[in-house]
Amino acid sequence: MPLRTGFVEATEAYQIPKLVRVAPNLYGIAFTLMKMIPARFILRRAEQDGKIGPDTVIVETTSGTFGLALAMQAVSMGRRLILVSDPVIDERLYRRLTDLGAVVERVPASAAAAVGGYQAARLERLAQIRGEHRSTFCPEQYSNPDNPRSYAAVAELLVECLGQIDCIVGPVGSGGSMCGTTTYLRALFPECRAVGVDAYNSVLFGQPDGPRELRGMGMSLMPANLDHRIFDEVHWCTAPAAYAATRDLHRRNALFMGPSSGAAYLAARWWARTNPDKLTVVMLPDEGYRYLDTVYDDEWLAQRGHLGEQPPDEPLQVDDPSRQDGSWTTYDWARRSYIQMMTTNVAAAMNV
Amino acid sequence: MSLRNLRDLHPVTGHHANNGTDFRVGVGQAPAHHGELLQGVFDDGTGRPRRALVTLPQRDRGTRAVFHPSRRFYSITVENPELTKVRRAAVLALHRFAAHPATVPGGRIEITSDVPSRIGMGSSTSDVTAAIRAVADFHGVSLPEEEIGRLAVAAEGASDSTMIDDRVVLFAQRDGLVLETLGHRLPPMLVVGCDTEPGAGVDTLRFKPAEYDDKEIGAFQVLRAAMRRAVATGDVALLGRVATASARINQRFLPKPGLERLVELCLRHGGCGVQVAHSGTIAGLIFDARRPGVADGVARCASRIEEMGLVLTATIGLEPAAADVRVTA
Repeated sequence: MPLRTGFVEATEAYQIPKLVRVAPNLYGIAFTLMKMIPARFILRRAEQDGKIGPDTVIVETTSGTFGLALAMQAVSMGRRLILVSDPVIDERLYRRLTDLGAVVERVPASAAAAVGGYQAARLERLAQIRGEHRSTFCPEQYSNPDNPRSYAAVAELLVECLGQIDCIVGPVGSGGSMCGTTTYLRALFPECRAVGVDAYNSVLFGQPDGPRELRGMGMSLMPANLDHRIFDEVHWCTAPAAYAATRDLHRRNALFMGPSSGAAYLAARWWARTNPDKLTVVMLPDEGYRYLDTVYDDEWLAQRGHLGEQPPDEPLQVDDPSRQDGSWTTYDWARRSYIQMMTTNVAAAMNV
Repeated sequence: MSLRNLRDLHPVTGHHANNGTDFRVGVGQAPAHHGELLQGVFDDGTGRPRRALVTLPQRDRGTRAVFHPSRRFYSITVENPELTKVRRAAVLALHRFAAHPATVPGGRIEITSDVPSRIGMGSSTSDVTAAIRAVADFHGVSLPEEEIGRLAVAAEGASDSTMIDDRVVLFAQRDGLVLETLGHRLPPMLVVGCDTEPGAGVDTLRFKPAEYDDKEIGAFQVLRAAMRRAVATGDVALLGRVATASARINQRFLPKPGLERLVELCLRHGGCGVQVAHSGTIAGLIFDARRPGVADGVARCASRIEEMGLVLTATIGLEPAAADVRVTA
């Protein structure tokens, strides 16, 4: 066994997940902060390639964990970071980001657009900031190919620890983690199935855009890094279904994760149960601390009518990805592009 | 004539045979290989990408070199003047022993080999390694494997890792460095080898090294981990996956005609995957030697390959246990 050594920087340690068996044929890959993988990879690579110099300001639009990972890596690299966020950024995250030295600019609440929310206003402010500084670097997690590329390290770990993997399940946001991990696993196992988990009212796989309670997955705009052709099937679930699964994961396996992990676990445990001879891995992107006052608080759940609400044993199979039937649905995506899926559905609708 | 036969015919090393005279010779041997199980670009541990490979050794073929010392001539001669790399290797090896009390200024290298050239079986490294070992043997020294590796790379620019024969390594073929020891030995397997382009051959000196893209380099990271696991757990199925993936990536640089047909043929007969010579024309269908009925699958694949018009190069049984189930067909 090779000699174990310490880490030179915290971010190196933070990117290492725990691989834990949660059912006989199902492993969870549990991250403290999954976004550390693309954040660290993108920034270090940009530095190597000379895109980040000593005076370069790193800029990005984010209200989420990618910003936190950037802020941590910016500390390691001794670089300035400006984040442009929604007005509604989580207060605790805001304090953590600013403590790490990041400047967090919140666009005004009045800037909300009917489609895409604050995204347009955030991009506009980002462009202004880039104009104000001589040298800036934007990681662009939604379109930077280094985002999916960074997940080769995850596929590497999975393969070394588990060997052949038959199915990978995970929540989808930027598309980086699922598309990257699946692509690299398929270099070895081309038949490995990819199951994406999305929120209702997220445009990623054909739902109409709308307000979403479930955080950490789903999008209002289509990210370039989402390669739909990776996915064999897609699941959607409601926030309470995801919350119940999150708590189940905690109670049964002592894995303290956030609700996007819970949503992925919901789909993964069903897939593993119905495919007992296949080895499944579920991506669990972040921990539960941010949700102690919500998902992990029975009173909060009760106030919203979510307490005691259990998801069904299996998803409802739908033949149209824009439908919202019940609390958990699945659609046979079959590795098609978004355009192919749309064409199929329009053709089907016209035949009816 | 196989290497084993050569050894039987010449069981003595010159060192003990002719003590202390100019007629005392040095003898060295080196095996062939059957291409690679994995070849690509890998992190060397310092963040630097290096070209490296995992060789599939083929020990029933090889080279025997004899070093005939000379106290009069300050040069090395090789019987076949085409073997310039062998000459360079012997010069470097002799230089290595410059301070040795019993050294000589020059000599003659005689090469006997049954390794075909230009198809990716490592004839060049086999010759070079045998020559280095012959010079070392003359001095009564057995050089460490990694030092032979560095001398071989210095002589020929890029070498496979056949000189490292007591473990499975990821070897940087242009640096002569072991990037990682993957394990003790390869799991027991049978390999049905064939030449995918009989008569074509590849000039390894002129062959331009592959320029891998980011995605391919990411894939190599995963293949390396899979290889590590396959060797550690003796998983031939996973090893076959790695070899097939590496062969497929290489199709962009030196395509093997009919690779997918060979993969399909192999899997259909219970095999695990196909490895190739990444700078040659040969391919090998990999079977788990422990699997019941493996001999049948191997025999069927061998006859199918001949029907396809391809030339069988070898059936390699890599472990003593595997040798017992070698196919005679």
